[in-house]
Amino acid sequence: MTLQQQIRANRVRTTFVLFGFAILVGIFTAAVYFAFQPGVAGFIGIIAIVYGIVSWFAAGAMIAAASGAHKVTKEQQPELYRALENVGIAAGLAKTPDLYMIDDPSPNAFAAGRDPDHAYVAVTTGLAKMMDKRELEGVLAHEVSHIRNRDVRLMSLAAVLVGVIALASDLLMRITIFGGGSDEREGGLGAVGVIVGLVAAVLAPVGATLLQMSLSRRREYLADASAVEITGDAEGLAMALAALRDDTQPLHTVTRATAHLYIESPLRDHKGLRSSLGGMFDTHPPLEDRIAVLEKMGGFTLPAPASQPATAQ
Amino acid sequence: MIVVIVIIVLVVLVLGWLMYTYNRLVRLRNETDQGFSGIDIQLKRRADLIPNLVESVKAYAAHESGLFEELAQARASTLSAQGVAGAADAAGKTGAALGRLFAVAEAYPQLRASENFKRLQDELTDTEDKIAAARRYYNTVVQAYNTGQQTFPASVVAGTFGFSPREFFRIDDDGDRAPVAVSV
Repeated sequence: MTLQQQIRANRVRTTFVLFGFAILVGIFTAAVYFAFQPGVAGFIGIIAIVYGIVSWFAAGAMIAAASGAHKVTKEQQPELYRALENVGIAAGLAKTPDLYMIDDPSPNAFAAGRDPDHAYVAVTTGLAKMMDKRELEGVLAHEVSHIRNRDVRLMSLAAVLVGVIALASDLLMRITIFGGGSDEREGGLGAVGVIVGLVAAVLAPVGATLLQMSLSRRREYLADASAVEITGDAEGLAMALAALRDDTQPLHTVTRATAHLYIESPLRDHKGLRSSLGGMFDTHPPLEDRIAVLEKMGGFTLPAPASQPATAQ
Repeated sequence: MIVVIVIIVLVVLVLGWLMYTYNRLVRLRNETDQGFSGIDIQLKRRADLIPNLVESVKAYAAHESGLFEELAQARASTLSAQGVAGAADAAGKTGAALGRLFAVAEAYPQLRASENFKRLQDELTDTEDKIAAARRYYNTVVQAYNTGQQTFPASVVAGTFGFSPREFFRIDDDGDRAPVAVSV
């Protein structure tokens, strides 16, 4: 599979996932509408929409605050900033994204912001210290392609949609449990309706989260592919991913809500869950798979992980 | 009746495709123009480093007047270069001349130790990285633009509306990379 084909295939998949989101929202709305009075559906709808709009506009700042990232200047981090500038030029971005740093020894990075002109790339101090120029450029190119491919926008949208669905189903649960008694005049269909509503309320956030996860996993392969297009150096990115794989420190300031943004899954305490669910709840594909794809793309083989001594390729 | 509807649908489809293809080619053409001006900005930035570099080297190796002359010419040709081929040609000459300048500088440890020279060298390395990055972007976009014109049936649209392939930005001279190698 060539780079272009892979990018195209990933775009198609993403469209399917977005359709999935739309269908999920549609089913949920329909269930609420038929199970309760239109007034209830309207009430939940208005609150959810207001919540969605507010979190959409505050997304970038909220993510920076939640992850402990702060802005740094070119003077403070000349090498890193230059690398980011170069990657931005090679990606054809009109403006170099802002550079943010997270004071954390665990190597990781993410990109955020609503559109390419208001985007930033955040890296941990651990990553900056650990990686050489080639590896850094690989990581930065991965993040910049998230920005260029509008992944950052899509991911923010996904996070907001998941939030909206979670809020709506939460409201629905409360109304069903505390306010359901007074709605007896609905008649025989009422009981079935309430059950349908409850099932929708329980399943909607689970489905939404699953969709968000798979969205983010596809996007990682696509961002890897475009990063190689940007730097022309598949091996540099593969080495960076191998370094991330071999690092075992967990990131301190991270929540489930921001996990899907990072270049590599920052949550390392769910190995058991991953094996039992076949990785369904993972925000990221396994690094091994991503390195294998890069090896195929660049026609090289990295030395095997720690168990074998590193041999020159 | 049905025949009329089928014809109308077909015409709408063809027009829609025509519009889409035409707009796609225009977008790609704008991207190549943008990509080239990206290279041009960096090449001019590099050319603007030359006078200061020459000044700092002159203080130690005043007798290399032939080389200084060559650099001045390279700078002039960069600033006046027309088109992709012209810019690439000037870039090759500038790279070769700068390569020789740093080869000369190797012989003067005091020069290499001077803060001013080190700063200029650092800035030059950064500019060359950015030239390389801008070239990579430009060549990627040119490839997409050319392929977009040459594949059938888009080639019909490209031919009708006068889109023509762009040339890649190639620098023949190996001297282009010399300063980076020497500065290590």
